[in-house]
Amino acid sequence: MSSKNPRERQMLESIYSMIALVFILVTCVDLCDAATVVDVYRLIQYDISGVPFGSRFATLNHHAGSLHFAPGADLSRTVLVIPVRELNITFVKEYISQRKPLGGLLFLLPQMFNFGNREAATEGKYQVREKELMNTVLAELERLLIHANIPYPVYFAFEDDDIDAVLADVKRSDVSGQPATATTGGYKLVVSAPEPKKIVSPSITNIQGWLPGLKADGDPNQLPTIAIVASYDTFGTAPALSVGSDSNGSGVVALLELARLFSLLYSNPKTRGRYNLLFGLTSGGPYNYNGTHKWLRSFDQRQRESIDYAICLNSIGSWDNELWIHVSKPPENAFIKQIFEGFSTVAEELGFEVGLKHKKINISNPRVAWEHEQFSKLRVTAATLSELSAAPELLESTGGLSDSRHFINETAIVRSIKLVAESIARHIYGRQGKNIQIFADNTSLAVNSPYIRSWVDLLSKTPRVAPFLSKNDPFVTALKKELEDHTREVNVHHEVLDGMFTLYDSTKAKLNIYQVASVTFDLLLLLVLGSYLITLFTFLVITTRGLDDLISLFRRPPSRKVKTA
Amino acid sequence: MTLFHFFNCAILTFGPHAVYYSATPLYLSLPEKNLAKFESEYDTLGTSIKAALVYLGTALVKLVCLATFLKVSENDSFDPYQELLKALIGFIDVAGLYFALTQLTHRNISQNHKYQAVGLGWAFADSVLHRLAPLWVGARGLEFTWDFILQGLEANANLVFSISLAALGSLMWLRKNKPKTLIPIIYACAGIVATMPSITSYLRKGLGWHFPKVVGFELFTSLVMAFISWQLFSACQRPSS
Repeated sequence: MSSKNPRERQMLESIYSMIALVFILVTCVDLCDAATVVDVYRLIQYDISGVPFGSRFATLNHHAGSLHFAPGADLSRTVLVIPVRELNITFVKEYISQRKPLGGLLFLLPQMFNFGNREAATEGKYQVREKELMNTVLAELERLLIHANIPYPVYFAFEDDDIDAVLADVKRSDVSGQPATATTGGYKLVVSAPEPKKIVSPSITNIQGWLPGLKADGDPNQLPTIAIVASYDTFGTAPALSVGSDSNGSGVVALLELARLFSLLYSNPKTRGRYNLLFGLTSGGPYNYNGTHKWLRSFDQRQRESIDYAICLNSIGSWDNELWIHVSKPPENAFIKQIFEGFSTVAEELGFEVGLKHKKINISNPRVAWEHEQFSKLRVTAATLSELSAAPELLESTGGLSDSRHFINETAIVRSIKLVAESIARHIYGRQGKNIQIFADNTSLAVNSPYIRSWVDLLSKTPRVAPFLSKNDPFVTALKKELEDHTREVNVHHEVLDGMFTLYDSTKAKLNIYQVASVTFDLLLLLVLGSYLITLFTFLVITTRGLDDLISLFRRPPSRKVKTA
Repeated sequence: MTLFHFFNCAILTFGPHAVYYSATPLYLSLPEKNLAKFESEYDTLGTSIKAALVYLGTALVKLVCLATFLKVSENDSFDPYQELLKALIGFIDVAGLYFALTQLTHRNISQNHKYQAVGLGWAFADSVLHRLAPLWVGARGLEFTWDFILQGLEANANLVFSISLAALGSLMWLRKNKPKTLIPIIYACAGIVATMPSITSYLRKGLGWHFPKVVGFELFTSLVMAFISWQLFSACQRPSS
């Protein structure tokens, strides 16, 4: 027996070390097996001249709670899950403005805003009234969230069956009065996202297309130019969801269609006008039209002077009867009068009204509300065509959550395109005031609705917040290719967004929802198992060795002492 | 908190084996010096380890046979022919147990304790191979399911089944003088216990029973089988004693 002992001990030791090794290896495996995994989109985080705005954190690891929490409950370790349908904006306003501690916020958007989900986005089952209500609620929520500094993560998700079931469960347990903390079970929401970092040197890309006019032989003077400009990027509450169908997707679509129409006209030398046409797709719109500013600075003095006037397109996709032309030169100016009359004649023919609005530029104020103001600062006559009657505030009307596909009316875009095309064409060919329809329906120059529809669809699926668009982003390349189709010369300028605005990354994440058992449950289970094993032990001892042996188990230590003594 | 849950499920799954080993005369021995080294007068630890190794070998052989003869079904329904094939391959289990009981040389162990040690080693190997990995990987996560607790209960039932099967096996192969009337009963019980896996998979897939129900059924039948085999064992003891 003694010879066997060292061998046996060695065997045991080797077994133990093997087990330890296996355990070490297996701990390296990190598996994540949540019941539900949902895509979530983070609230934007940005600084304006160092002042922080938006949600400042991305990682989330707290219990879920609903709006039915007991008043006075401590919510600093709870994530409130709020469906936007049942949103009480005053409550959210109170929480944010009073800076009450909260673990996090999760807003649930109805599926109709989900551009990724085809069937839901195009469903017409929502009444117009409901849509409008939702839009106003969302707009107010966005305004609140964008201008607040929130020290906890805020995420947006789309309603679906899993998350609805979770929310219903959470509501039920909240209503029954049990606070959702670590000891009473519930759901845990976990988002493991990297810490948000500043986007260094965010690039903005301006694309310009040049359609040269017909130069008469022997004429040394440069032809005048008419510019059509639209900014294509957006800024919204959730940058991964900012598709900006109307602001300014409608403008981009109109610009592309105008480029197509005029390229058709200009392809034949007999119908080529004596004006050059410059199409500009600018970026950096929400940031005081920073991109337009840099683009204009890249022109030399002569090129800039040759621009007769510029028309900027901004949000022309959801109006009914009235469009506005915004100018910064006084309306009494003869040239402005001429342009405006041209536009209103065409509008009358098409059956709607165009109004004129004048807003003086304040050079000391860095705020640039309209794109034409950047032109006016460089002494180029410009005007903005828009459905908005008043100048938007900073970071307003730049393509938020409510600005989605169903917000757009295609006929509005078609009519705007007809308006701009006819007015410019009459100016080019000198046919002002005459009742000729150059781009009449059912002709080869008619406005192409399917083309508009397909581009609006594409734009409504592409979030376009400029700092998150890289230099070679496929969307930017697509715009460039499209302009190349219609214009002679295309140039792409890459600039860096000015330092006043800083954006942070980490816009999309995956939310894991775990159903957790409370610590008391585990303790209870331990107790039950302990008693089960003890019962089993006593049962086995009694049946196999008899009751005496069981009693002798507890009497052994004294008997040993007796023996040695 | 979740390691806690893993710990709970682990003691539910493997605790009874340890308890069985320490509670029955397998462990308790008379001289103290043997206690310290986990040995006993009866060479039970060695027997259990040998039985565990035999189980490992049997599992490998079964895997190879399953891979060769079974085809993978697309849906989760109950295919009688496949299940029959699985049951036949399951008899390899019985062959392995036979090998462990009869062919291995066990020193210094009585008949009574031999089958217990073999059954214990068998069941322990089964639990470790089939349940340790899912437990380690799954029970440590944040998500809570009842599955691991049910799995632990299943391990308990399996322990009882293994010991009953070992008892019946030792009755069949190691005991020479058995009352004639009891022999068919012994073989019938052994057959039932051996085909338990097929029965449970039929219940789960063919009848669509949920896991808790299946585990309850297993626990109940294991107790019934244990009782029956205990009675048979004591009945066979009487003529010899």
